[in-house]
Amino acid sequence: TGGVAPPPGPSHSAPPAPGAESGSHRAAASVMESWKEERTRSVEDNEMSLPSLAAAYTTILRGLGEDPQRQGLLKTPWRAATAMQFFTKGYQEKIIDVLNDAIFDEDHDEMVIVKDIDMFSMCEHHLVPIFGRVHIGYLPNKRVLGLSKLARIVEIYSRRLQVQERLTKQIAVAITEALQPTGVGVVIEATHMCMVMRGVQKMNSKTVTSTMLGVFREDPKTRDEFLTLIRS
Amino acid sequence: MNTHRVNDIVEEFHCNNGFSDLIIDTKKSAVHRKHETSRKEDEDQSRLPALEAAYTNILLHLGEDTHREGLLRTPLRAAKAIQFLTKGYHETIDDILNNAIFDEDHDEMVIVKDIDMFSLCEHHLVPFFGKVHIGYIPNKKVVGLSKLVDIWRIILFLSVQERLTKQIAVGIYEALQPKGVAVVIEAAHMCMVMRGVQKMNSRTVTSAMLGVYLEDLKSREEFLTLSQRTEQKP
Repeated sequence: TGGVAPPPGPSHSAPPAPGAESGSHRAAASVMESWKEERTRSVEDNEMSLPSLAAAYTTILRGLGEDPQRQGLLKTPWRAATAMQFFTKGYQEKIIDVLNDAIFDEDHDEMVIVKDIDMFSMCEHHLVPIFGRVHIGYLPNKRVLGLSKLARIVEIYSRRLQVQERLTKQIAVAITEALQPTGVGVVIEATHMCMVMRGVQKMNSKTVTSTMLGVFREDPKTRDEFLTLIRS
Repeated sequence: MNTHRVNDIVEEFHCNNGFSDLIIDTKKSAVHRKHETSRKEDEDQSRLPALEAAYTNILLHLGEDTHREGLLRTPLRAAKAIQFLTKGYHETIDDILNNAIFDEDHDEMVIVKDIDMFSLCEHHLVPFFGKVHIGYIPNKKVVGLSKLVDIWRIILFLSVQERLTKQIAVGIYEALQPKGVAVVIEAAHMCMVMRGVQKMNSRTVTSAMLGVYLEDLKSREEFLTLSQRTEQKP
């Protein structure tokens, strides 16, 4: 398998220093476990859970005053259950499986940016969609990543019940742990249906979050270059 | 004794309320309508625990940890959210339009366009959203413009875009008896964007033409041209 040894797991946001172990941040550790995390779900789990999910959706239809027997709704519990499983399929995947083959040694130390990655997630507070775009930039340190793998990292973390701040950080940390680059920047710009369709009902508002690690955090010029290039 | 006193207070309370029902005779319809609304709210409240339990089940079977901080109150929030997104079941077009119909000697086209709308697809329980354009040719009766925009409230239920378009058109037709009604909906379906075929940019357009819009090509063309034109931004 790929020769990338997982670094010891510090749970703060700076790139891991060799040999550093930070035991005092266990509360935040659950967010940072990307490299070591286990899948919480498998394809078999999906099949076994489907009847219970469908039953829950039938209850919801009745609870809304609808008639689950009418033609348009007959198979809706199954469709909704399968759809929800698809929207949370990130729980079935691990970063290490997706990335392992596509890390290459390359003598390149200029910024690499993949931008306008369409992202779809589910708000963990209301179970309503979030969608937007992710922009990722990193400064390699002799190791580059297959470009589509950056999009796959976005998929794994976004297809979950999420909070946009956490999603941004998880993507940045995953790239850091995989490549040990000189720096990583991730910006997400998204629309939250829970704000558009209900609550404050603001149609046009967007939420922007960013995580800057390594030289992206320390050097304003690098950060500026990244932010300018993702705007153009 | 204490219980005797309590009984007196209760008696007094009921008496007064009984009286007040008689006094506000002229406002009876408003009171009646208020009671209608609060009954629906009560219905919603009483159904909430069942919805919450269903959502807790869903979270468990998706492999999530229902005790983690972010998910602790999610079943309640999600249940309330979906009740909000289906509150169109409680409303009728008459509720929205009835108070604001005016006699007006106008028989040219009236269009209200770019009304933001959203609804839930009845097949996947996933949102679809976009814009509604409504046009009608009055027949001596016009409706308050904001009432047409308020249509968005009554389309909050499990629907199919084709049926929805027709329901809006027929509702306005029955309420106003105009010479014609045209409704166009252009929407993005998350069930196509987020899953399945996963096409980001595709939009579904449906239309319903009634009365003169159905019979007369020129009227229909005028409506379509005027509603599709976009503003020139400086």
